[in-house]
Amino acid sequence: MSDNPRMAHPDTTAEERGKLIEGAIDVQLSPQLAELRDHIVEAFGDLEVIGFRGELTLVTPPEQVTDLLRFCRDDPDVACELLADLSGVHWPGGVHQRIAQETTGWPVYSDVVEQGRIELDYILYSLTHHHRLRVRTFLPDEEPRIASVTPLYASANMMEREAYDFFGVVFEDHPNLTRVLMPEDWEGYPHRKDYPLGGVDVQYKGAVVPPPDQRMY
Amino acid sequence: MSDTTDSRKTLEPRHEYTVVSGEWQDLPEAVPDDLMVINMGPQHPSTHGVLRMVLTLDGETVVDNEPVIGYLHTGIEKNAEFRPWVHGVTFVTRMDYLAPLFNELGYCLAVERLLGIDDEVPERAQVIRVAMTELNRISSHLVWLATSGMELGAVSAMIYGFRERESILDLFEFVTGLRMNHAYIRPGGVSQDVPEDFADRVRLVLEEMPRRIDEFEDLLTDNPIWLERNVGVGVLGREECLDLGVTGPLLRSTGVAHDLRKIDPYCGIDTYDFDVPTADSCDSFGRYQVRMAEMRESLKIVDQALDRLPEGPVMVANKKIAWPAQLGLGPDGLGNTEEYVSKIMGQSMEALIHHFKLVTEGFVVPRGQVYAAVESPRGELGYHLTSDGTNKPYRVRVRDPSFIHIGTLPYLTRGLLVSDVIAAVASLDPVMGGVDR
Amino acid sequence: MGLESKLPSGILLTNVEKFVNWSRAGSLWPATFGLACCAIEMMSTGAAHYDLARFGMEVFRASPRQADLMIVAGRVSQKMAPIVRNLYDQMADPKWVLSMGVCASSGGMFNNYAIVQGVDHVVPVDMYVPGCPPRPEMLMDGIVKLHEKIKAEQFVERPRKGESMEDYRRRTGWIDPDPVEGGVAVAQQRPV
Repeated sequence: MSDNPRMAHPDTTAEERGKLIEGAIDVQLSPQLAELRDHIVEAFGDLEVIGFRGELTLVTPPEQVTDLLRFCRDDPDVACELLADLSGVHWPGGVHQRIAQETTGWPVYSDVVEQGRIELDYILYSLTHHHRLRVRTFLPDEEPRIASVTPLYASANMMEREAYDFFGVVFEDHPNLTRVLMPEDWEGYPHRKDYPLGGVDVQYKGAVVPPPDQRMY
Repeated sequence: MSDTTDSRKTLEPRHEYTVVSGEWQDLPEAVPDDLMVINMGPQHPSTHGVLRMVLTLDGETVVDNEPVIGYLHTGIEKNAEFRPWVHGVTFVTRMDYLAPLFNELGYCLAVERLLGIDDEVPERAQVIRVAMTELNRISSHLVWLATSGMELGAVSAMIYGFRERESILDLFEFVTGLRMNHAYIRPGGVSQDVPEDFADRVRLVLEEMPRRIDEFEDLLTDNPIWLERNVGVGVLGREECLDLGVTGPLLRSTGVAHDLRKIDPYCGIDTYDFDVPTADSCDSFGRYQVRMAEMRESLKIVDQALDRLPEGPVMVANKKIAWPAQLGLGPDGLGNTEEYVSKIMGQSMEALIHHFKLVTEGFVVPRGQVYAAVESPRGELGYHLTSDGTNKPYRVRVRDPSFIHIGTLPYLTRGLLVSDVIAAVASLDPVMGGVDR
Repeated sequence: MGLESKLPSGILLTNVEKFVNWSRAGSLWPATFGLACCAIEMMSTGAAHYDLARFGMEVFRASPRQADLMIVAGRVSQKMAPIVRNLYDQMADPKWVLSMGVCASSGGMFNNYAIVQGVDHVVPVDMYVPGCPPRPEMLMDGIVKLHEKIKAEQFVERPRKGESMEDYRRRTGWIDPDPVEGGVAVAQQRPV
């Protein structure tokens, strides 16, 4: 941790952590995706657009997600018939710290995040135009609720159940919001960052190796 | 529990119940005597692995089918958050265990995109990746054929399928050292170069394989029993497929020529000459035809890959990422070559430190999030990797096609007889390791 | 169980034992219990190239009541553990369990919340076959060793119906290799 005398290295900022290594190329948005971005931003004014590594991401508040997805599905220029994926990432609140290793000075950071968030990403795919875009939204950590998109895409059924199972996100008007991969009476939401990995110590001939999330490296 | 009848469904049940978790024990009183709720699985010889289906039957006809999954949930996604990026390959390869190289490839493509080194992966590594993954596609389809045949009663298909698969597994063992779950494809390339007589041995298999696939077709394609059991079973039309997020051979059996190898290519696979087979019947037999044709197309691709295998390294040149080991076959087996060991132990301290750091901590991936998809034998296998700028992933999310396809079961099997349910699930080809991750 | 209960205890029946054990080992039918990747290797072992039928395992019985051997092939998740136990209880005596692969033997590489760290937390195991996945030859080696173990069995050592673990251990004189004192393992603990 930071009071370890060997870890005498400054915290790296988010910008430094985003820098590419020497010789790597940052792919830009293709013209097709740039056109698509302009078309969508025209219809929905207040969207934040990210073009990281050539992938189009639209960041929107949770209330607007259903409208945006409906637009993407019904508009003939966007025409996203397939909801490919719905994934979640948990960014917990408080001090967000990651230590690499005791032995080297590779990046350690401690960001302070005021409000924990759960990020939901909807990956949409169009078969007619062959483009893919991502709709991102952030939900508060405490009581994440968002409207279900099952009326728009039936594939969201299983994916939303999984997001509920692993992050605790409640999708309103979902036909059957129950745990899908964990046992039905399981408590806790495993993929959250405050849920432990849950491994056991491994003992062998007198030595004890703790589970991976409690090791120093 | 609510009693609903929904007009959009094709088969009109007399009573339909929506039961949520915790209410199953109330069901027996509510369901009228002519409907029977039967549990199929998770230990069942004919379901593809540990899949449990709770069937509501009217006699022998399925009125509703609720799949229950999670019996193989391994927490791979969470485990990968506590290991360096390279170790993620060994975790991820065990998800869809019939097509392990595809899992590895998707993960490595996503890591390479995050690193920004998509273009730096050497040509030889790309061609080897294509050859190995297409061989894996053939072996995966052979297992599908074997297990489908066995589930429907054609036990010879099981024996023949596994026999053909052994020749391909011999090739994998020849190259990677393992028959299954090889951690061969690493971020930046592949872990070691193919041996010298790789092309000859693969060509031997490629010569034999078309005849063997012909044997399968002779056995099954015009077989009246096979036709009876598969034609018209498990029909899922184009609109339903798209709505349910279905990709892969199921979508291609509806006539849509959607293949990520052509549309969103990876590893230069669109420069190879192959067709995307489709069928029009939307049923289980159409999927059978699509998969058999795909096996032949994969043979073509492997042939072309062997022809164009260029010389060169198999790992990216950037020393900060490339796996540092220089492996060679010595008197005591496979390990670092003598010269490399003497270099790091005797000659260069920097080389030793560099090797040590890369092997224990791994490389650092810039902050960001990326989605990379490959066309696995089951459909679109996507990786949604989030990095926070350290040597371990922040979140590895896998979009497994089998998980999405299990969601189609209620629609796929409605109105079928119980034995048709087995044929329909077999044509879906779910691999529970991928479903449950 | 069938024969052991009929015989009065204490009578040495060496030849009968040998004959019965030989017939049990010679025709040990496995239950289909493939879970994950090891299941595919188990199927390969039963297929034509590495034929298991030549060792007497002619058919993989789907019904646990007709099976003698449960090969737990694959990782056992928390949701699956009660089902494993259920199937084991449904099997008729005499029954043996072979834990195939490292995930079934000890949790394997998945040291986390979702996987039972070794199927021996759930059912008693007679043979552990490591590997990820074990090659067919390794599985056959494990099975052959299990055959030898079966042939060397004595009737008095087979568990009796309704007998608890403590009674079984007392009856057969089992010595704990890793004694626990006061809930803490005696082996010296030093962190790595």
